[in-house]
Amino acid sequence: MMNDKTFRIIKAATNVISGMSMATLIILGVLYIGFNNAFVFNNAGIAVTNNPVTGDQINFILEGSRRHECTLTRVHSDAYDDTTGESYQFDFARKIYIRSNDYLGSDTGVVDHQWAMPVPDGMGPGVYRVSLYSEFDCVYLLFKKTKIQMFDNISLVIE
Amino acid sequence: MDKDKNKKIGKQVERWDLFARLTPTLFLVTSGLLVLFNIVTLEIAFYIGLTGFAVTAVTWWWWAIFTIRYLIQTLTRASANLGEVNEEVILIKEELAELKDDE
Repeated sequence: MMNDKTFRIIKAATNVISGMSMATLIILGVLYIGFNNAFVFNNAGIAVTNNPVTGDQINFILEGSRRHECTLTRVHSDAYDDTTGESYQFDFARKIYIRSNDYLGSDTGVVDHQWAMPVPDGMGPGVYRVSLYSEFDCVYLLFKKTKIQMFDNISLVIE
Repeated sequence: MDKDKNKKIGKQVERWDLFARLTPTLFLVTSGLLVLFNIVTLEIAFYIGLTGFAVTAVTWWWWAIFTIRYLIQTLTRASANLGEVNEEVILIKEELAELKDDE
């Protein structure tokens, strides 16, 4: 049989451990919900910087901020011409970085990312609506999640 | 009858106490190990924890309501009984005083 003092110490210790475990669970739960619901980029937008495009290169800029560490795993972009109904796919294999000192804000959290892509083959003059679909692997503390962010209605004018 | 119920409530309180002491640590350690060895994903562990939390909260809430209702009933009955005893003591006092006066 354990004596009264030992029993009290064990009881107090289990109280402290249980309280700390509960606090840890609540903090981790709240952090997980925050991470799960967060967007990859906040207050972000993509625009074409050399509109109207006269050459064979389209320059894009992505501005915004980012809270979590994310790596781009897949990207897909199309340009639609509402008047003709034609759509063209951008070739990201031929993407050129114009400004990428801090890749997607990995150091500062501020995203100022600029890149250029060639005008797709057969794309004639007109006003296009560009949409960009991107997939990221985001990491925060011990959490990891694949996230999707889409940008629509990016205006592109080809002359 | 009441004594049995009181004992039952005492035991239930002890069980809640033990549950509150052990469950958070057990869940934290178990889920941590399961996630570490890739047996379950963090998302599943999170939802299991959330479900456990919700079930515990609802169960405890109803248990607390019924227990408090029982305690209030017991207190009311005890208070009524004490009132009756008090009235009887006053009557006995009066009768004793009358007897003294007669003597």
